[in-house]
Amino acid sequence: MIPDSTAASVLQSGLVPQGTRVQVFSEIYWVFLGLGTLVGAVVIGYMLYNAYKYSYQGGVDEEDRPKLGEVPTGGGKGKKLFLSLGLSAIIVISLIAWTYGTLLFVEGQTGEQGVDVEVEGYQFGWNFNYLDDGEYTGVNTTNTLRVPVDTQVNLYVTSADVFHNFGIPELRVKTDAIPGETTETWFEASSTGNYTAHCYELCGQGHSYMDAEIIVMEEEEYQDWYDSQNASANNESAASVAAAGV
Amino acid sequence: MARTKLYTGIYVALFVIATLQVGVEQIGLLESSYMLALALITVFSFVKAVVVAGYFQHLVWEPRSVTYVLVLGFVGFLALTVAASYSIL
Amino acid sequence: MTDDNQPRTDGGTATALPGDSHDDDHLPPRWSLKRWLVTTNHKDVGLLYLATAMFFLVFGGVLALLIRAQMWSPRAPGTGVLSAMAYNQAVSLHGLIMVFWFISPFATGFANYIVPLQIGAEDLAFPRLNALSYWLYLASGILVFASFFQGASYAGGWTLYAPLNIPAFMPSIGATTTVFGIVVFCASVTVGGVNFITTIHRMRAPGLTMRSLPLFTWSWLLTVWMMLLAFAALLAAVMILLSDRMLGTTYFAATTAGGSVLWTHLFWFFGHPEVYIVFFPALGAMAEIFQTFSGNRIVGRKWFIVSMVLVALQSFIVWMHHMFLTSINLEVKTLFMATTIGISLPFDLMVFALIYTLIKGRIRWDTPMLYAFGALVLFIVGGITGVFLGAVVLDYEFRGTYWVVAHFHYVMVSGVTGLIAGLFYWFPKMTGKTYDEFLGKLSFAVYFTGFNLLYFPLFLAWGTPRRVFAYRPEYVGWHRLASVGAVILGIAFLLIIYNLAKSIVAGDDAAANPWPYSTTAEWAVASPPPIENFPGKPSYASGNLEFLDDGATGAAAADGGTAATDGGHAALESGHGDDHHVDHASLWPAAIGLFTVVTAIGLSGLQVGSYPEGLEGLFYQGTSVLGVLGLLGSITAMGYENFTAHEGGLGEAWPFEGVENTKLGMWVFLASDVVLFGGFIGAAIFLRIAYGWEAWHPIPHNPIPGLVNTYLLLTSSFTVILALVAAQKRSRKGVVASLTLTFLLGLGFLANKAIEWVVLFSEGTGLDASVRASTYYLTTGLHMGHVIAGLLITAYLIWRAWNGAYTDGNDETLEYFGLYWHFVDIVWLFLFPLFYIV
Repeated sequence: MIPDSTAASVLQSGLVPQGTRVQVFSEIYWVFLGLGTLVGAVVIGYMLYNAYKYSYQGGVDEEDRPKLGEVPTGGGKGKKLFLSLGLSAIIVISLIAWTYGTLLFVEGQTGEQGVDVEVEGYQFGWNFNYLDDGEYTGVNTTNTLRVPVDTQVNLYVTSADVFHNFGIPELRVKTDAIPGETTETWFEASSTGNYTAHCYELCGQGHSYMDAEIIVMEEEEYQDWYDSQNASANNESAASVAAAGV
Repeated sequence: MARTKLYTGIYVALFVIATLQVGVEQIGLLESSYMLALALITVFSFVKAVVVAGYFQHLVWEPRSVTYVLVLGFVGFLALTVAASYSIL
Repeated sequence: MTDDNQPRTDGGTATALPGDSHDDDHLPPRWSLKRWLVTTNHKDVGLLYLATAMFFLVFGGVLALLIRAQMWSPRAPGTGVLSAMAYNQAVSLHGLIMVFWFISPFATGFANYIVPLQIGAEDLAFPRLNALSYWLYLASGILVFASFFQGASYAGGWTLYAPLNIPAFMPSIGATTTVFGIVVFCASVTVGGVNFITTIHRMRAPGLTMRSLPLFTWSWLLTVWMMLLAFAALLAAVMILLSDRMLGTTYFAATTAGGSVLWTHLFWFFGHPEVYIVFFPALGAMAEIFQTFSGNRIVGRKWFIVSMVLVALQSFIVWMHHMFLTSINLEVKTLFMATTIGISLPFDLMVFALIYTLIKGRIRWDTPMLYAFGALVLFIVGGITGVFLGAVVLDYEFRGTYWVVAHFHYVMVSGVTGLIAGLFYWFPKMTGKTYDEFLGKLSFAVYFTGFNLLYFPLFLAWGTPRRVFAYRPEYVGWHRLASVGAVILGIAFLLIIYNLAKSIVAGDDAAANPWPYSTTAEWAVASPPPIENFPGKPSYASGNLEFLDDGATGAAAADGGTAATDGGHAALESGHGDDHHVDHASLWPAAIGLFTVVTAIGLSGLQVGSYPEGLEGLFYQGTSVLGVLGLLGSITAMGYENFTAHEGGLGEAWPFEGVENTKLGMWVFLASDVVLFGGFIGAAIFLRIAYGWEAWHPIPHNPIPGLVNTYLLLTSSFTVILALVAAQKRSRKGVVASLTLTFLLGLGFLANKAIEWVVLFSEGTGLDASVRASTYYLTTGLHMGHVIAGLLITAYLIWRAWNGAYTDGNDETLEYFGLYWHFVDIVWLFLFPLFYIV
């Protein structure tokens, strides 16, 4: 449906916002907000202007006004109508088309590189299983996701029970967690620190508190943590299968 | 009414098509060539449905607009089924 | 409010006082409770709708205030005015009640009252079915009310997402009752849709072609068409859900591949048209009000209509924009992004048309115009913020947040604002009283302030996830502002209700036409209009509305129809007399509504195939039996009742000239049934694809019993045809014999099916054995339900035919039943190969 060559040339043209999800979101959002406010102000301003200008003030009236019992017909001004429609269509269509390039960029990015984590929602928390080449590594955490800074993190999100939605607002990443399905998405944090993930789909009693902590660490720090987890996971699994979880 | 004969003929035809439809399965066409068998079976169903709607429900003698009302419902079903199925392919 | 230069063409003044009912043929007076139980008059039913919808507005509004109270602060676990589950119920039921039980029925109230007046009809095509729509609506609302007293009501959001919606995750009986309420509401909407479609297409005054229909009527016509198809899809969804909850099928179980996504498809296929279903009537009312109060005809009226038609069609192909974050593929996302932009463009045109209508006008800022103008402003804000959501990358971040909440409240509640404009606009017509203009304007100021104070801060607090009450502290200010706004908006509604209630009691009498530049026919009759609406036969044939002598059009029954019978048995030849008697009262619609409540309460006790233990179970079982018996009795009584309604086809009837009302009604109903079965069949196909098409084998081992059933049904269709032929030959014996044969063939079908199921059950293949088994049992079960209903009707027809009906030249009932029966046959022609062969 979308020829790769076209997609590639659009992406390379420089017009399309690219970068981390935070960067593309903010670029697009502010353009939409700016234009949206402008259009809204112009249209509503124009309405108010006419509302004021043509308010009834008595006086003689030469116009042909609607009469009771006439067969309904329309007034003129068709040209003006289509001019405005055309103008609004150009704004809306070009805005959406512009963001479509970014959509292709965002969708094409998953799994290309970086850290892979399977996210499993359950009532009412999140399991994170670290993957390597699509295989479970034995490293897993609950309600805390540790990731390295400046690295793409690919999420493979699913659910163990009901429909959830995993989102980290500051990092502008979000996707549905659906039982029996896996959705893919990615993010990249450009500074270390702690963030909070929420559930964005009503999932029952504990929905309001179904959060997870996202800890973005320096690359080496993360690697140390991961290696220690990996070692203990492998030791444990060698000794006994039972002890999973951190 | 003179139409009784027509109705009888249609009834017999429907009977035969229904039998043919199962015949497709009985001769093992589903195993040997699934898509062909599926297509045949679907076509048989549509032929029967159109004949029942056209003659038993008198649609051929009604204004065409009545048929369009039903087609509208059918297109709604198609839109839902085809697009939803396509979305998970 | 009267004008300086507008001649009054009808010469009418406010004649009948509300309590004055000397001409209300056989109807008890308005102050009597009995009148409201038995009335089938469209104006009475309209008032019932409006009053009930206002009640649900208050109900849903109280829930909204509870939500806003909880949101006053971010709540730590266990604190706040509501418990977690109470909060979840409040958000779910607030959404459900406002969307289903307030906005749509509120619009239905206006449509009931105004549309027949605008098109020059004396009533709807099927007055008893109209009353039935109302009583089913009330019944569904009572069920929702009752659900709170059965453990807990529904608590999974108004979108009812799967699998939270099944008993494994939401076991309360009240949740089942809520879903039952939605099922009954769908039934109400379907009955109403059939009625309005028939009425608007076939009962227009001469000269009132489709092109010249008033815009409110146009908007309502498109609304009911959308309702007919969209609510049939919702009906399929909620029936499947009920089956999962009550019978134990496993469509939406967490372990069913594709089950959760199936729900989102079924729900949003309905859900997006629903947005326009809610908004269109308001848009139509706004168009009328803009024209009346600016004194200019709507600019680009033709294109306005074209835009509405386009939106109505496109509304069925945009639903997946609610699902951009699910596992649907990129191609389909692209497609639905494109259709979504596409549907915004006709709205742009309509908005500009309304704005340009103001130019060179003589705008009077009476209360209706203030609300209509305000509604347009709010709609523009809602529309612009909606474009953000059309950009998929932005939607990814806004999904599930308060941005969505704020956006759709701007859109939906701007619709409410438009309808309130309509409420003030038509209030003098409906009550014969003038509202208090000062209080009206004051209410608008409070309303507009409260609205924006409530919903605009939600854009600023958009980082808040939906349906949580533990949000980030930085949003406290915005949420508190919103809560204050909610109280102010609530006060505005109280002001509106006070104003109108006070005016009904003590207002000045209203003129027939209180507005200077109104054009439509409702303003040409007294306020309120008499029971038969018009002083003569309304006609636009001369280019202007005229009321002709009754005799003048009597001969013009080119339609060849006998009097319509509203689904009852053979008509009296009432159309032939000059007396022109029609009925306005029937108790049976209300009785059916009552027994619907009883039945649904009884059946709600059924959970995953069994009733609760002990006394509670006994109560639910007894109630089920009582309800079903009552329903059968009252439906039969309604069928047997003599009831004469107005016939159609005397004026404009495009495009259904020559198709009698009842026949058209049946066809329109069947079109909705196509979508209902379509939903079930589509669900089965979708789940099969999710499972792996060829890995999925039919449940019955052998197609031969199914083939036998195909033969039986085909033969029974043939015998129905023979019954009609016999009736045309006036052979009573022939009719009775053919129908009896039909009945026996149908019984044979059921017996064959029963044997098949018993064998399968004994092999351990129950409804919950696999999703394959679930789809097989439920889809063919729905068909079997149609067969059983058909056989009950057949039994009734045999009894009537035995007593001499149908062979006296009135054989339409047989023909219409045949349409239904052949349809059931056709459905089987598709189910049989799908579930037995491939």
